[in-house]
Amino acid sequence: MGASLFEKMLLTGARCISDGALLFVGFHWPMLMARIARRLHAPNIVIVYENGIVEDRLTSILPTSPCDLVAAESAAVCAGSLEALYMWLASGRVEMAILEAPIVDRYGNVNTTAVGPYAAPKVRLPGSGGGTELSSLGRNLMLVSASTNRRSYPERVDYVTSPGYLNGAQERNRLGYKPDTGPKTLVNPLGICRFDDNGEMYLAALHHGVTQSEAQGAFGWQIRARQGLDVLPEPTEHELNIVRQELIHAKERYYLLPEG
Amino acid sequence: MSTGEKPVLSMKEAVGRHVPDGQELLIGGFAFSDPTALAHEIIRQRRKDLFIMKTSGGVLVDQLVGAACVKRVLSCHVWNSVGPVPAHCFRRALEQGKPHPIEIEELSYGAFTTALTAGACDLPFMPTTPVQGAGHFTQRTFLPQKFAVVENPFGGGPVCVVPPLKPALGAFHVHRADKYGNAQLFGPTGEMRFAMAACRKLIVIAEELVDTEVIRQHPEATVAPGFMVDTVVVEPWAAHPTDSYGYYWRDLAHHALYGEMSRTEEGFQRYIDEWVIATGDHAGFVRKLGAERISELRVRSKRYW
Repeated sequence: MGASLFEKMLLTGARCISDGALLFVGFHWPMLMARIARRLHAPNIVIVYENGIVEDRLTSILPTSPCDLVAAESAAVCAGSLEALYMWLASGRVEMAILEAPIVDRYGNVNTTAVGPYAAPKVRLPGSGGGTELSSLGRNLMLVSASTNRRSYPERVDYVTSPGYLNGAQERNRLGYKPDTGPKTLVNPLGICRFDDNGEMYLAALHHGVTQSEAQGAFGWQIRARQGLDVLPEPTEHELNIVRQELIHAKERYYLLPEG
Repeated sequence: MSTGEKPVLSMKEAVGRHVPDGQELLIGGFAFSDPTALAHEIIRQRRKDLFIMKTSGGVLVDQLVGAACVKRVLSCHVWNSVGPVPAHCFRRALEQGKPHPIEIEELSYGAFTTALTAGACDLPFMPTTPVQGAGHFTQRTFLPQKFAVVENPFGGGPVCVVPPLKPALGAFHVHRADKYGNAQLFGPTGEMRFAMAACRKLIVIAEELVDTEVIRQHPEATVAPGFMVDTVVVEPWAAHPTDSYGYYWRDLAHHALYGEMSRTEEGFQRYIDEWVIATGDHAGFVRKLGAERISELRVRSKRYW
């Protein structure tokens, strides 16, 4: 059976990770992507988590979250959050940050707090955790969304949990965020989006089998597409095999996998 | 806060003595080392109107909210980290006001960490993660002064700052403690070192009570010196179903069980009746888990300490 768009998303995210990079990885699919990258082409990545764990090799068990202490199995470093968030991330030592963005808008602002009015939410979500730090402080930030539903891509989020470019890149700079921070890419089942100089998201590449109009229809605004939209290479048999092994592993670890 | 020997209390005594209705309480742990045994005892003693501060609320805060013990929550995250599935009671409280409405105030994890660090060091404020334009910055409820922006006095533009946070009482899960209150936590420590030092009164909940000579073998693991600690509680498996580095793993099945049962108010009540009320105390809870489960969860790899 060919790869599903969700499987392609995991692989596309993994391919964006360079071997040897120092990464700050957030909760959920970003952790699985980094693990897939480590098993494929990037065995030498070093991952830091918000609680201070440094994971520098393949753990025998997939953690259910960054705070699942199987991530610290034989770790070389177990520190704390001041180290992780500020000494490593804010300092610029971390080369790439990966954050799940279940609801994300035109300017890369992420909502993981509340849908609807804050005081009377229609849907209440978990809140920030370290997600604000990843987007406020992280260099080379990659956002990940497993959704293709328009409700996941509103023109403007109801609550900015993790600031993207706010109302545009000028605003982010003016408010005192460091240069070179802010989202650089979004990976989802449709393909890859990037951000222009004004901080607006545009479609940059599609997964094989996704049409441009299909992709554009998933967004809650008229998203622009790059001229000559790239088509991402299909997974090889080996890559798909690794992705599927890790999905079986994830299921054993109580991850809820998307249907189909 | 003093030197010398500290009272070693049962959880029941500690809650009875230190956690009256309306208490302001920072609970340690960040989805590991969450002292669930403390929450269960608070529920057994039917406390009301608590002001709970917890960086990552998890199942622990969800249970306190569902059991109607809480008036206010200050947190950066409240969810069941296995699945992940929602913290259903937390959602019901905020979406539908059930079992009663709660007040929520939010910080990012970094802002929470830096506010506690400022509190621990008695600094007037501390620079933190830039959050201008984000929801936490604009939405303020019972902590209207949770963020401010100042001009960098050394040049270079606006700086986001947080005020010091000094919780009236803190309760933290640790691995081991001695009778003087010297408390050790191995593995990652999240914000806990700073959070402990920020609290005006401090309870440590230890997996085991050990001789000071044992503490001396690894002084680097002492996260709270005895002189900061007021009370010691000894409670094995206190952090279950979260994990405790070097002691036990995260109980995924139990997280899933709780996630499933707490989907409805009735199911949640059944969980509380079966696992909290009927068990009587945490030793009863551990007995209910059963020897087989306990054995599966126990960490067997050799500890370095």
